[in-house]
Amino acid sequence: MGNVFGKKSSKPSKQPAITEQDRAILQLKQQRDRLNQNRRRVESQLDREREVAKQLLKNGQKDRALLLLRKKKMLETQLTKSENILENVERMTHDLEFAQVQVDVVNSLRQGTDALKKMNDILKLEDIEQLMEDSREAIEYQNEVSNLLSGGLSRADEQDVEAELDELIRADEANQLGQLPDVPHHRQGERTRVSPTKSKQRVLAEAD
Amino acid sequence: MAATKISDISWHHDFPPFFTLQPNLDTRRKQLDAWCSLVLDYCRLKKVCTFDVNDASKFPPFFNAKINRQLDNNFIQVLLEELRSRGNIEWEDKHKRRCLVLWKSPEEWAKTIYQWITAHGMNGTVCTFYELLHGDDTRSAEFHNIDPHLFRRVLMELEKRGQATVFSDNGADGVKFS
Repeated sequence: MGNVFGKKSSKPSKQPAITEQDRAILQLKQQRDRLNQNRRRVESQLDREREVAKQLLKNGQKDRALLLLRKKKMLETQLTKSENILENVERMTHDLEFAQVQVDVVNSLRQGTDALKKMNDILKLEDIEQLMEDSREAIEYQNEVSNLLSGGLSRADEQDVEAELDELIRADEANQLGQLPDVPHHRQGERTRVSPTKSKQRVLAEAD
Repeated sequence: MAATKISDISWHHDFPPFFTLQPNLDTRRKQLDAWCSLVLDYCRLKKVCTFDVNDASKFPPFFNAKINRQLDNNFIQVLLEELRSRGNIEWEDKHKRRCLVLWKSPEEWAKTIYQWITAHGMNGTVCTFYELLHGDDTRSAEFHNIDPHLFRRVLMELEKRGQATVFSDNGADGVKFS
């Protein structure tokens, strides 16, 4: 992508840059990872202790089982606490990442607005009005020129010619009307040409 | 992981002459091709990313107890050299003790990782090495749990393409994707 603008930078610095916020996010994520590791460790420890407690009960060593269960309870509360902390860290991480997104959005909006303002400066309303006026005058002038050049039928002549054309068209239509075929009076006569059997069928059909 | 027998990957493994370096050049070429495929398929299946020459004799494809055959050191050296020349192995040190197994070339790995990141909308974000390699989110990804050396090597590839920057802060290793 860097090549589009030519020899802007020959060193491989098209890598994403690392900002202060990135470092902060990395720290937070590392905390999150550590808490996750801790939680996994405690969970597997709890599972093992549960198994041992069951075993102790089987062997009838109730007090030892009780001690073990107490220890397990302590681990469980610790687990809950660390899960709460984990939730806080994750929320902070998400907020920080989202804040970056918001900053990007505001910057883009600002850029867009500036570009739009520049465009509007080019299009001053008075200039546009003048432009349209000039354009209309030029077109009118051009029409005059072409009228003159094409030999000069005046306005009145044009109307006469158009009236004559209309007359011709009407006359032609009237002619065509006269040549339309008449409504046939000889329906009976037509039938005599058809074969007898077919005429019977036709009679039947007509009767319906 | 279901126990896939090595002979399922390659029938050659149960064939005794397969374990003897063939003198005839044509046969040897075919033999080395088959061995390279076998080693790479095995590593891909078991996600083996590094290989240590000292442990070579314990590497499952290199011996077959059923037919009582084992690759001798010379053959192993020839095979490793063949893999290196094909770009499937990169030596970590000059003395050729440990190497990275690249059943997928670094460029392909780089593409895989970048595609995964894009598919999950993580462009422009910062990630720790831990969350990418061992996190719950990447459990289904191909690069989950691969060797850290291989991971760094692939990230170097991504840096070359300008798609990522590796950095660390106070002991935390992270990478930012573009």
